[in-house]
Amino acid sequence: MLAVHRDVLNIVQAKFLSAEVVRSIHLNVSAIDGRRCDENRILALVEYNNSFALFILISSKIKPLSISDLSIETVIPIDEYFSCDTEPIEGSQFHIIFIITYKKIVRAFKIEIGLESSNFASEVIRSKEVSLYNKPIFVWLDKYIGTMSEPSHTSDLGQTDTPIIRQHIAQGPSGINRDSMLKYQLKLKEPEFTQKQEFSIFVGTWNVNGQPPSISLRPWLSCDENPPDLYAVGFQEIDLSKEAFLFNDTPREAEWYKYVMEGVHPKAKYKLVGLARLVGMQLVVMVNSQHYPYVKNISVDTIGTGLLGKMGNKGGVGVRMELHNTSLCFVNSHLAAHVDEYERRNQDYKDINARMNFKRTPQAIKDHEQVYWLGDLNYRITDLTTTQVKTLLNRHELPTLLRADQLNQQKERGNVLLDYEEGDIKFQPTYKYDLNTDTFDTSEKARPPAWTDRILWRGKGVYQVAYRSHMDLRLSDHKPVSALFKSEISVVDPSKYRRVHEELLKKMDKYENEYLPQVTVDQTEVVFELVKFRERQTREITIANTGMVPAEFEFIKKLDENSYCKDWLRIIPYCGSINPGEKCDVKLEVCLETDLTKIYDILVLHLKGGKDMFIIINGDCQKSSFTTSISTLCRISVPIMQVTDEQWRLALKDVSESSVLYSVPRELWLIIDHLYRHGLKTRDLFESSALHEEIIRIRDWLDFGSLDPLPGNVQAVAETLLLFLSFTKDPVIPYDVHDACIAAASNFQNCRQIVLQKVSDLHRNVFLYICMFLQEILKYSNDNGYDAKTLASLFGDILLRDQIRNSKPQASRGKSNFVYNFLVNDMSSSIMPHK
Amino acid sequence: MSAGPYNYSYIFKYIIIGDMGVGKSCLLHQFTEKKFMADCPHTIGVEFGTRIIEVSGQKIKLQIWDTAGQERFRAVTRSYYRGAAGALMVYDITRRSTYNHLSSWLTDTRNLTNPSTVIFLIGNKCDLEGQRDVTYEEASKFAEENGLMFVEASAKTGDNVEEAFLETAKKIYQSIQDGRLDLNAAESGVQHKPSQPGRNNLSSDQQASKDNCAC
Ligand SMILES: Nc1nc2c(ncn2[C@@H]2O[C@H](COP(=O)(O)OP(=O)(O)OP(=O)(O)O)[C@@H](O)[C@H]2O)c(=O)[nH]1
Ligand SMILES: [Mg+2]
Repeated sequence: MLAVHRDVLNIVQAKFLSAEVVRSIHLNVSAIDGRRCDENRILALVEYNNSFALFILISSKIKPLSISDLSIETVIPIDEYFSCDTEPIEGSQFHIIFIITYKKIVRAFKIEIGLESSNFASEVIRSKEVSLYNKPIFVWLDKYIGTMSEPSHTSDLGQTDTPIIRQHIAQGPSGINRDSMLKYQLKLKEPEFTQKQEFSIFVGTWNVNGQPPSISLRPWLSCDENPPDLYAVGFQEIDLSKEAFLFNDTPREAEWYKYVMEGVHPKAKYKLVGLARLVGMQLVVMVNSQHYPYVKNISVDTIGTGLLGKMGNKGGVGVRMELHNTSLCFVNSHLAAHVDEYERRNQDYKDINARMNFKRTPQAIKDHEQVYWLGDLNYRITDLTTTQVKTLLNRHELPTLLRADQLNQQKERGNVLLDYEEGDIKFQPTYKYDLNTDTFDTSEKARPPAWTDRILWRGKGVYQVAYRSHMDLRLSDHKPVSALFKSEISVVDPSKYRRVHEELLKKMDKYENEYLPQVTVDQTEVVFELVKFRERQTREITIANTGMVPAEFEFIKKLDENSYCKDWLRIIPYCGSINPGEKCDVKLEVCLETDLTKIYDILVLHLKGGKDMFIIINGDCQKSSFTTSISTLCRISVPIMQVTDEQWRLALKDVSESSVLYSVPRELWLIIDHLYRHGLKTRDLFESSALHEEIIRIRDWLDFGSLDPLPGNVQAVAETLLLFLSFTKDPVIPYDVHDACIAAASNFQNCRQIVLQKVSDLHRNVFLYICMFLQEILKYSNDNGYDAKTLASLFGDILLRDQIRNSKPQASRGKSNFVYNFLVNDMSSSIMPHK
Repeated sequence: MSAGPYNYSYIFKYIIIGDMGVGKSCLLHQFTEKKFMADCPHTIGVEFGTRIIEVSGQKIKLQIWDTAGQERFRAVTRSYYRGAAGALMVYDITRRSTYNHLSSWLTDTRNLTNPSTVIFLIGNKCDLEGQRDVTYEEASKFAEENGLMFVEASAKTGDNVEEAFLETAKKIYQSIQDGRLDLNAAESGVQHKPSQPGRNNLSSDQQASKDNCAC
């Protein structure tokens, strides 16, 4: 990692769970595959538990400063379907194309040639190699697929049979695989629902030196008195032909299998569990047929470690299975030959171990409870001549010889078959004999005898009861070897199992529940102080992520509502993501512009993939003349805050002509009177925006009443007029005649008819009162600079305001034309204000 | 890649409803955690719990929404009924008022869920026999008249808790088996595969639940 990218790496890392490690990143990547290339992309190689994925992130900044600058565009699992390549760009010395292919997906990026790109590319290639050895599991990617900014890509991945499996612990982000979790947990609990039962396992190995079978195998396979429960019989060199070597095809497989079946113990019936063969290596696993129903998850695999590191002249073949509740693995291997090649043999062993992988249950050899390793391991006796060995053998000094045994030496040094056990060798070396004799090699080469053929095991509860060679089988230059084991197998008690299983499922659910996003909110009831017209109040709530996974929250709307909160509230931010252990402050801001007496709402705070929380918003509101209807205002004689409850109730209810006290609201009269006296000649009267506090002071002066003069400068009072007219409960010209007004706008008489006939007395009064005031202003246009058109457009949208508050900056031409008529025509004769 | 033997093939959505304090959250907790919460705070929102059960050899994931019972939340919690395959309607056998309100809960359930929704009546706190205020017979008759399944249970002792949840699932599974419940209906409350919970329950601008399943 280049030092300069440390900070970016940390930010990218923050996008993931801590167990998901960002191994490498590449900045300044531009897409050249038809996607938006103006976006900044970052490639990130992320590892979780030996499984790698390539993330393509979009950064809103060239260099992201926080995780909110990053979004995930695409996730590509690195498995067998993944490949990447580079291609030069013609004529460019500084850039290359980096191509990523995943099934049908191809992405290409232009990147700068340099240390960063070569580091990144080699990391990606390395991760691909790793993924070939481990069967990676990509459940952890699921949660990111949902967050990808480009849904089309999701389906790209989806359509093509991807290895991404959907088995969420919960729906929310979670990094654990339910399956393996349950298995693991079941294993831990195994003693609670199983009993150990001893099974006899016969393991045999024989290098047959390419000879076809011609003798009964009984003396070898049926040498014990009682039939074993299970057989694992391995051969090496069943076919030494080029045909077999190159094409892995040989008739000998079936022949040896037949001989094995005929050679098994006559006192029992056996059923084949699995047969694995690679070139000359063959492994046959059989069980006493009464146990067959309890064998499951059988899988075989073969690994070549020969020529080119892959050919099958050397290597190993394996069969795995579960017998009752114990996993068993048998590996038959033929390791590299020649006395001095013990390191090569060690390597072969390591390769088989690393590469053997059983498809059906993705398990490596080491993951099995019991492993039986057999074969021609080819380790020899070092530092002793043939004569010395033979002399020692004659003197029965096996321990001296065994100390010189390469396998024992290498094993002791931890180079091979570490933590495998082997029984005491009490038999003669099994190699090399003259064919059809019990005589050690008499050829010119006169190879020293060696225990090349061995059987080892690892795992709990395995006891070897016999380890021997079978001298009578003289077919080959090797003698067969066999071992008999008494092995403890866990046998399930179905009723106990059911109980434990059920308990575990519950526990798993607890896990599920634990891995659900969890947050706490510091208050579930937010009470605002007295809410007043247009006076903003804010409260802060703190959402704390108390769970184990990032929590994505969002305030969501309730059924039948069209927003996640009422129009008097703003929530900032209304959605976001919080990392475990972190907090997020959310601002709730109230701004009242209607005549509510109380604000009340229940906000629904939703956690993606988790629970919902309710947050209650509460507050009392203060009455204001600004949000009261014209008709009510005309029926009260005192400032609104001085009105008694009883008076107020009546004023709201009473619509009778007789209760009208004023022809226009008192407040309106006070404002306009003030402007008449102080503002007619004021330039740009309606254009400077007043201080918020000034408006509030004027509001309180009007609502509470005062003996002081009207506060604020004349522009603030002018703005108050606009506000007042904008918020009265009903617009001056009722909604339902707006269309008619606009239609009539070109004809004053028609406009006049509408106002006379379709607008109620009080509203008409207010309308004409305003228009007359505006006409008065126009008389001083030299001073204030206003013309009729300007005032008409200013007031048109207010006097005929829309039902849904209009936030458009431009005025409506039709409404303006309508009002214009009343500014340029003399109407005193035709329409007189009421009273 | 193998899907593994422990996957669930169905998701059933449940809601738990009933007056405040009748023990809805305790029932959920008892069912998912096998524990009793002696002083459980009022639910302010909708808690989400899940557990995988087995019915006729099929793994079924229950997604359980435990709603707030307080009257003031009634309007909001109504939005969670939609798409429930099972509704556990709970009253407290020691408080008659909670029983008296059942008809109103039932009305909501009938109005807001679909006809195939299985409604299970639970008379909770049956461990408090001494304080009993509603007889078994009376409630049983109510259940019968309204075609509800019914048990008396105790979230405290765990009596009949498991049964209530499992019987509901069995009934739903049966409905699927004999085709009474249309899996393809958007609001059946049953999904054939795992998907996201939550969002779809409230907002109407729900995106069709993304399905990235490829297995
Ligand atoms: N004795 C007894 N007490 C119970 C039982 N179930 C719940 N309680 C108690 O009743 C109280 C209320 O239980 P909750 O589960 O919180 O009730 P709820 O229905 O979820 O209430 P809301 O969330 O307000 O709707 C708690 O104090 C519980 O301890 C029960 O079966 N027996
Ligand atoms: Mg509750």
